[in-house]
Amino acid sequence: MESASVAVGHADHHHHGPPEAHESSRIDRQTLGILLFIVSEVMLFGAFFAAYFFLRVVVDPPSWPPEPFELPVAVAGMNTAILVSSSFTIHYALESIRRGNRAGLKLGLVATWILGATFLFIQLNEYAHIGFSARDFGFGSIFYSLTGLHGAHVFVGLLLLSFATIRAFRGHFGPAAKDHLGVELPGIYWHFVDIMWIVVYVTVYIL
Amino acid sequence: MKINEAAVFRWVVIFGVAGAAVIAVTLLTRPLIGALLGLALVIAGCIYGYRWAAQKRREVSSEK
Repeated sequence: MESASVAVGHADHHHHGPPEAHESSRIDRQTLGILLFIVSEVMLFGAFFAAYFFLRVVVDPPSWPPEPFELPVAVAGMNTAILVSSSFTIHYALESIRRGNRAGLKLGLVATWILGATFLFIQLNEYAHIGFSARDFGFGSIFYSLTGLHGAHVFVGLLLLSFATIRAFRGHFGPAAKDHLGVELPGIYWHFVDIMWIVVYVTVYIL
Repeated sequence: MKINEAAVFRWVVIFGVAGAAVIAVTLLTRPLIGALLGLALVIAGCIYGYRWAAQKRREVSSEK
């Protein structure tokens, strides 16, 4: 019994026995949690894409987007580049803290936050000038639903990044994997948000 | 493969390249061709993911 409790107490420090009953030796609980959350998010986006393709393919309107609506493909393309760039900056932040470079961590996080906020600002500006609303037929509804759902995820990502950035400036993170989970998990979530935007942009604006 | 931020970042790059390919094909030809390429990439990704998961299952069962 004593050896078992010793093994549990040192689960992260070169312990050779089995992990705790409720833990995996392959993945930590926090990472598993964010991955399961992302899987549920993929299903949520899947439902919205199903509605989009139903309107686009099954209802099959004469033109898409319906006349006289037009989508700002170039502006959204620029916005896509901004959001994809933010994945590189968050990756830089994490690579920096893995090497013990705290200045790089802070720089990467601040850059990611600015790029994310810029994306959201441009999207809101696009909504203000796009010339149709969510009440304009199925097209308007699904356009605002898909891009708005994604925008909400960017907003949540920015909140997570804000907490991570504040903690980084207060010196909370370290090079060991368990010491920077507070950046690693928002980073995984941010990458997911980026991947979803690539899919949304290609589907809604390009195809 | 360990699941961490670096592994997910690779997926951003993969999706970015795939998205750029679909955009290029769509702009050069027609949206239908781009959509078909996108569908082919999704199917290829599913097959790759299935094989990767099956290999992982074999590795885990051989370790037990």
